[in-house]
Amino acid sequence: MFSSKSIRIIFIAIVFMMLLVPGVSAHRVYLQEQIKDVQIKTWFGGGDPMVDAEISIYAVKNGQEELYIEDRTDSEGLYHFTPKLGVSEYRVVVSESGHKNEKTFNLAAGSLASQEEAELPLYANIISGLGYIVGLAGFAMYFSSRKANN
Amino acid sequence: MHISDGVLSFGVVVIGWVIALSISAFILWRCKSQYDLAESIPKISIMTAAFFVASLVHVSIGPTSVHLLLNGLLGVVLGIMAFPAMLVGLTLQSFLFQHGGITTIGINNVMMGIPAILAYWIFRFGYRKGFSPAFLGALCGALGILLSGIFLALFLISTGEEFLEVAYAAALVHVPIMIIEGIITGSVVTFLLKVRPELLPFDMEV
Repeated sequence: MFSSKSIRIIFIAIVFMMLLVPGVSAHRVYLQEQIKDVQIKTWFGGGDPMVDAEISIYAVKNGQEELYIEDRTDSEGLYHFTPKLGVSEYRVVVSESGHKNEKTFNLAAGSLASQEEAELPLYANIISGLGYIVGLAGFAMYFSSRKANN
Repeated sequence: MHISDGVLSFGVVVIGWVIALSISAFILWRCKSQYDLAESIPKISIMTAAFFVASLVHVSIGPTSVHLLLNGLLGVVLGIMAFPAMLVGLTLQSFLFQHGGITTIGINNVMMGIPAILAYWIFRFGYRKGFSPAFLGALCGALGILLSGIFLALFLISTGEEFLEVAYAAALVHVPIMIIEGIITGSVVTFLLKVRPELLPFDMEV
């Protein structure tokens, strides 16, 4: 059987645990964040911002596209807009005298500051391009030397 | 000054490809039948490599970002072979650097290649008339850029842009590039004439 000492310890422990439980509230609280502002950053390869570029924002709902905003970027290549209520998917097209790119994104998809696209470091691209040129030159030389031998 | 994918309509893109490929094919056929191309392959490759990398050199002035083109230099040093050389350079640029679009390689080739050929003709004409090569080189280096800007404005008419407005804006932002390329082309030509005059294609009849 339990000794009176162990009963006392159990009793104290139960009282302690009741103290630790936070006050039970009658209403459950719901919380949802509202994303107020979407920032669009535009820049050229090399890092210069696209200043005063035309920007068109299309709201995509159930696969249907609708032009939402047409404006220009500011002096830092940034543009801010407030999302349309209930629409979380947007397609943004930015263009400036012959340069153009677009991106489709979903606000509900989580990570908001989307990562910049991972790409090979620049020097790798340069070296591979020079490699192609050397290869083409070798190819051309091979054919012209064959012609000369004949 | 590259035009990106999706800016121009399908028709303009197709016309660009047709013009670029037919001019390239004609030039290759013409040079093959008249000259020994094997000797100039190293020269063409080096200039293609220079053209390919040059577009990474940025100058940021005003609202847009401009980069070196070197099309005037290619024209003066390579002659009409500059056009097919640029086709190779532009293809590599669009795949590796995402400069310009893949569908617009043809139209970009026309935009930069035809000014290169014009620069070559002007240089050859002036050189035979006895003008200073340094001055002619500087002039043609700058002219390559200016003419490309005019071509850009011409192509952008099809998207509803105003010709004069775009041409003026393109010329204005490219003024620093024109100065830099004028200096580069002028010094390269002077240098080559001193050490290896046979590298310059002035005895060619095309």
